[in-house]
Amino acid sequence: MAKSDDCVHILQGLLVFGNVVIGMCGIALTAECIYFVSSPNGLYPLLKVTEDSDINAAAWIGIFVGLALFALSILGIIGVIKASRTLLLVYIILMLITFAFEMASCITAASHQDSLTPQLFLKQMLERYQKSEPANNSDNEVTKTWDELMLQNHCCGVLGPSDWQEYTSAFRLTHSDADYPWPRMCCVLNAQGLPDNLDGCKLGVPGYYNSNGCYDAISGPVNTHAWGVAWFGFAILCWTFCVLLGTMFYWSGIEY
Amino acid sequence: HPHSCSQHPGTHTMLPLLLLLLPAAHGIAQLRYRPALTKDPQLEGLTTASTFVLDQPRCVFDDYGNADIWLVVALEQAAFNNTAAPGTPETAFQGFPDRVRAYMTLNTTLVNYPCPKPDGDITVLRVGSETSCAQEPTRPTCNGPLPGPGPYWVKFLALEGSVPVAETAWSEPIILRTAKSPNSISTTGSGHSAGMIAITTILSILFAILLAGLVAMLIFWSSDSCSGSSTFSKPESVTVRRYNTHHVYDQPAARL
Repeated sequence: MAKSDDCVHILQGLLVFGNVVIGMCGIALTAECIYFVSSPNGLYPLLKVTEDSDINAAAWIGIFVGLALFALSILGIIGVIKASRTLLLVYIILMLITFAFEMASCITAASHQDSLTPQLFLKQMLERYQKSEPANNSDNEVTKTWDELMLQNHCCGVLGPSDWQEYTSAFRLTHSDADYPWPRMCCVLNAQGLPDNLDGCKLGVPGYYNSNGCYDAISGPVNTHAWGVAWFGFAILCWTFCVLLGTMFYWSGIEY
Repeated sequence: HPHSCSQHPGTHTMLPLLLLLLPAAHGIAQLRYRPALTKDPQLEGLTTASTFVLDQPRCVFDDYGNADIWLVVALEQAAFNNTAAPGTPETAFQGFPDRVRAYMTLNTTLVNYPCPKPDGDITVLRVGSETSCAQEPTRPTCNGPLPGPGPYWVKFLALEGSVPVAETAWSEPIILRTAKSPNSISTTGSGHSAGMIAITTILSILFAILLAGLVAMLIFWSSDSCSGSSTFSKPESVTVRRYNTHHVYDQPAARL
């Protein structure tokens, strides 16, 4: 019957097209996750001490899922064209396993983004910045990271210089409030790395100190990471769902 | 602020006579100026945990070119007697706040408060900025950091030699900042964002549908192999049993 043959060919064509898209998205996901894992993200020491040890887990899973999607899409194309039940069954089962892993990666990335609130960074900064007896190397790294952050982004504290006034801190234990209302890094520095006007900075005269907080500079890269892994993965999974349903329907129609 | 030379010209000659006749304490000119925290420009460090910033008393002591102008900082207004001499243990900063309830500091002459104030200059006094002499008994007029949040009252006093000649009104009570412990910052319970809940729910539903589809497929397959029905037809799929009626003894061979 020509009509059912046409339907078969259309379904085959759609499935092949769907698998091609999955393959390309798999490559894109792998590339994106490799970028996130390897990029010299200067914020890594801050994120490391948030006691969220699965910091990069979502990205690592994404790399392997991407490669798996690419390989499976090729398998799927071969299975659809050959109309082979075994190949397609293997394809469907392996795809479901990949789907589960990618689901885990998306959910991890999305909930990780939620946990990085300003309060988390504020508490960590107050407890570790310029700690006089650093418990381990990570405290030194936190100090260095914050100094870099405040210097590069012309910002101070998490929400503003008043963070140092509203809360006691490890910094306050070694630096008196009268001499250091906030760290020297919050001052506008000249080319030699010294404050332009120390008295102006200590008074808080606009123009001689950094008045905005660094949270925007921190949350920007973190949000990009989360959007890239979580939502892109989600989009891929929705497309994969459709292709898998189509494949199941095609499979059930193949003569054994 | 009203000029201090708002006196009637007629009383100008009367004043020295009155000063001679009355006890010295009652002869102190009560200037109408009230010291206040700086309002312009807006300073981030207007009050910190141990310092505060006052406007300089410009154009207030113009009649007292020979006098030393002192700042009196007190925990109680009544604790200060205008006859108290600066630089003595009774008004030394180092005794504040336990033995001494009011100290005198930041002395200068009118030369440092020129009138009128040039536009664009920031003319302030930072009370509490000298940390080096805070523990030095040899520097009783030290402008040391304030030991607590207050409230403090301040006024300016003009002394000619050791005789008080003019004073301003007491300021409004000045309360400094108190720092909280970082343990009071709650880092938990920000909850899950709508995005994460949406991802989790939708992906779980999709995964469940796919699993159901797989199960249906497998059931369909096992029942399919018994019933033999199919939608698509492969070419050459119809088998016909051939009967060889001439060679009966060949039938087993033909069936094989």
